[in-house]
Amino acid sequence: MKKKLLALLMIVVFGFSFAGCAGSADTATEDPAPVEESIIDLTGTTLKVFVAYGGIDEIFQAFEADTGVKVEYLDMSSGEVLARIRAEQGNPLGDIWFGGGVDSFIAAQNDGLLESYVSPEAEHVPAKYLDPDGYWTGVSLVTVSFIVNTDRCEEIGIETPQTWQDLLQPELKGEILMSNPSISGTSYTILSGILQSMGEEEGWAYIDQLNQQIPYYAKRGSEPPQKAALGEVTVGLAPDTGESLKAEGYPIVSIFPQDGTPWWPSPVAILKGAENLEGAKAFVDWCLSEKGQEILRDNCPRVPVREGIEPPECLAAIKEAKLQDIDFVVAGNVRDSVVEQWQTKYGE
Amino acid sequence: MYGIVWLNSGRPSMVNKIKQGVSFKGTSFSDFIAGLIYVLIAASVILFILWPTIAILVKSVYYGGNFTFGQYIQLFTENRQLLLNSILVSASSTVLAVTLGLFVALFITHSGNRGKKTVFAVLLLTMISPPFVSALSYIMLFGRRGIITYYLLGLSINPYGWHGVVLMQTLSHASLAALIILGVLRGIDKSLEQASLDLGAGSLSTLLKITIPLAKPGIIAAVLISFIQSLADFGTPIIIGGNFTVLATEAYLNVIGLYNLPRAAAMGTLLMIPALLMFVIYRRVVENSEYFSLRVGSDSSLALSRWINHVLALVTWSFILFQLLQYATILWGAFAKTWGVDFTFSMKHIQALGIGQLLAFARSLEYALIAALAGSLIGMIIAYMVERKKFPGYRILDFLATLPYMIPGPFLGIAYVLAFHDKPLILTGTVFIVIVNCIYRQLPISTKAGTAVLTQLNPETEYGARDLGADEISTFKDVILPSLKPAFLIGFINTFTTTMTTIGAIIFLVVPGSEVATVQMFNAIKTGQIGVSAVIANMIIIVTLAVNLAFSYFILRPQRYKDSEKMEGTYVSAIEGIR
Repeated sequence: MKKKLLALLMIVVFGFSFAGCAGSADTATEDPAPVEESIIDLTGTTLKVFVAYGGIDEIFQAFEADTGVKVEYLDMSSGEVLARIRAEQGNPLGDIWFGGGVDSFIAAQNDGLLESYVSPEAEHVPAKYLDPDGYWTGVSLVTVSFIVNTDRCEEIGIETPQTWQDLLQPELKGEILMSNPSISGTSYTILSGILQSMGEEEGWAYIDQLNQQIPYYAKRGSEPPQKAALGEVTVGLAPDTGESLKAEGYPIVSIFPQDGTPWWPSPVAILKGAENLEGAKAFVDWCLSEKGQEILRDNCPRVPVREGIEPPECLAAIKEAKLQDIDFVVAGNVRDSVVEQWQTKYGE
Repeated sequence: MYGIVWLNSGRPSMVNKIKQGVSFKGTSFSDFIAGLIYVLIAASVILFILWPTIAILVKSVYYGGNFTFGQYIQLFTENRQLLLNSILVSASSTVLAVTLGLFVALFITHSGNRGKKTVFAVLLLTMISPPFVSALSYIMLFGRRGIITYYLLGLSINPYGWHGVVLMQTLSHASLAALIILGVLRGIDKSLEQASLDLGAGSLSTLLKITIPLAKPGIIAAVLISFIQSLADFGTPIIIGGNFTVLATEAYLNVIGLYNLPRAAAMGTLLMIPALLMFVIYRRVVENSEYFSLRVGSDSSLALSRWINHVLALVTWSFILFQLLQYATILWGAFAKTWGVDFTFSMKHIQALGIGQLLAFARSLEYALIAALAGSLIGMIIAYMVERKKFPGYRILDFLATLPYMIPGPFLGIAYVLAFHDKPLILTGTVFIVIVNCIYRQLPISTKAGTAVLTQLNPETEYGARDLGADEISTFKDVILPSLKPAFLIGFINTFTTTMTTIGAIIFLVVPGSEVATVQMFNAIKTGQIGVSAVIANMIIIVTLAVNLAFSYFILRPQRYKDSEKMEGTYVSAIEGIR
């Protein structure tokens, strides 16, 4: 018994000391490269990334092959990243924040948690896809689509809905799922897209009618497309075209609403206090470069921001779709009041 | 000397005085070490539980450079409905889960039915509930298009709402409740039941009037744990609540969605009121419990009447069947071509698994093993400090050791960042802080399970040991720890399992590059790779179950008695060891 207890204690103590070593090794970082040199050798440095983007393993491998910078990443939703870097108070345990809802980036910018950097590659990117002061830079366009379960459509006897107006047909009552705009960047973009393109009055009137069709508001962004795939609802509003769900074999199609598709630029930003600042800048440059844009597109089906780079095949329809005219700075600034208005109308 | 101890049962001070007369020189050094361990453990509780809690509560009154109670004004009136929802759901699921747990535990200890080992193994299995994947399987079975509800029964019921939350919480808390009650039922002095039967009582009235009251320490511990766990559970209502929300969910959304930490922290404080009330009730019951079991492990077992056996079997097997269905669904999901639609066999999801996922898995395993061993040992020592040593302020220590369950997971993660990211104590970015978070987050379970067992055990054995010259450490190691085996096991299983499956707190503490398995699983779900997430879920389930079963065998394996189901043999050997 004595021996057993001793062994147990040894394991615990050993475990802790081992954990301690591993921890300190993790936090050790390279000295920052001298800034004054024009070409900096970043080989062997490590870049730490908070990420909400698809196909990241392949993307980071390609970046490492091109620059020699090793990437360590952690998957987090934008809300989680924001809560975390706020608690870390300008001393973040990461260098780069990659992908997510543009509204959380704007909130972080307002809190002074982001580093400004205007990439030389940004001149090939339309101005509406990035922050003028360089606090965040869009790397691709996230487009909202209807994920429609075709089996369900047949059962309830309707054609595949193509427009926002189609969603209002009586057969779809209780059959449409979207996330709660107060927690979902996608849903907030839908909301502000509708309000900005239809105008305040008409916009709220439409949202009123749409609300009648929605059984409840999901509290995770990934829920609406999944529930549509499983046939729990007929239509799920999603920030992508559900390519992996289609690949899994679900009976779904994706539709860009013909009377206006909401979208937002998926940003990359450098965190203020980043240890590997030069590596972080190199990553932003790489994301916007021709090659980087192609690699991003090939591993996560979204529309590239750089002029002259074709959208992925599965998104070819986006060329015919009508993108809504959305001002993100305005949308970001009125977010609190719009969400509050929405909460009082449709929240619990 | 022996006789004196008997006469002075329940009076440690007296016994200690006597003991000092006979103690050897060596014991004082050993007692000094023991004292040092107590101080260190109490200090660690203050450091890793109280300090982060204060750090986050400060956020609710001090923000934007101002000190204000703004968040608390109207907090109650604005959130009354949410608070009522929380209490309603927690109370319902607690009553159901503990009742169910009691039935299952009685089935294992008291009924004459077969298959007890199977039931015990399934209990260990159902402790493991990978988040989101479990929800997916629930929806697949009982959703609007669920295999059972829709295809089998032809119903088109809506599973989303408070009833769904209560059902899912009941199922997931019943297993832990059963294990905690089981730990106590196993230690019941069976001669008392025998006496009741000898005096002419039937088996039902013996069960109701003797057995269940004797199991009270375990039942109240299960009630406390289940209740505060439901209160702080934000995930289940998110997944299955539909339009129904509770305070914990709203607080969580305030952090992650509305970016309003002060408001969320204030809501968290509101959530602590019912949790605190339940804790006060729990303490009262524990303090008023009398020690009954000294001679445990008498061979005669209460023979229940046939129909009681049948009822226990019916409830238990329905529960087991219901649970197994869910796990079969998850298993199927890893090999089915398309989860929920196309059930043909396919290896594509397993082939899609990357090296990153395997590394994350190994990392999870390492964290979980260290956290479980350290956490259950610390939990046992705290239980001993609270229940036996009763230092000044022991109730506060017990409360602090319960606190982590009153706080929704993500809050504890953010609290750790707030507390350990700045001078004087910079620990963020280390693996150490991730593991410490896992240990202290799960401390309530091991301490409550330990307290339940100790409450039931008559302390005379320990006084006897002290009296015969055993020092503090040997008494704990040779007398207390063997009796605490079932509680130690619960602490280990719970900490190991939750560290392998939870995501809430540690997402804020792990650094990029040291991702854990659940984060990978969640990411696979987010991006629509449901099959891959099912594969990861199955890996987590299988490995966790294997470790839990192996550890159970290691802890509970019979030392003197061949019958493996009579684990109470350990108590007897403990007592015999003293004589």
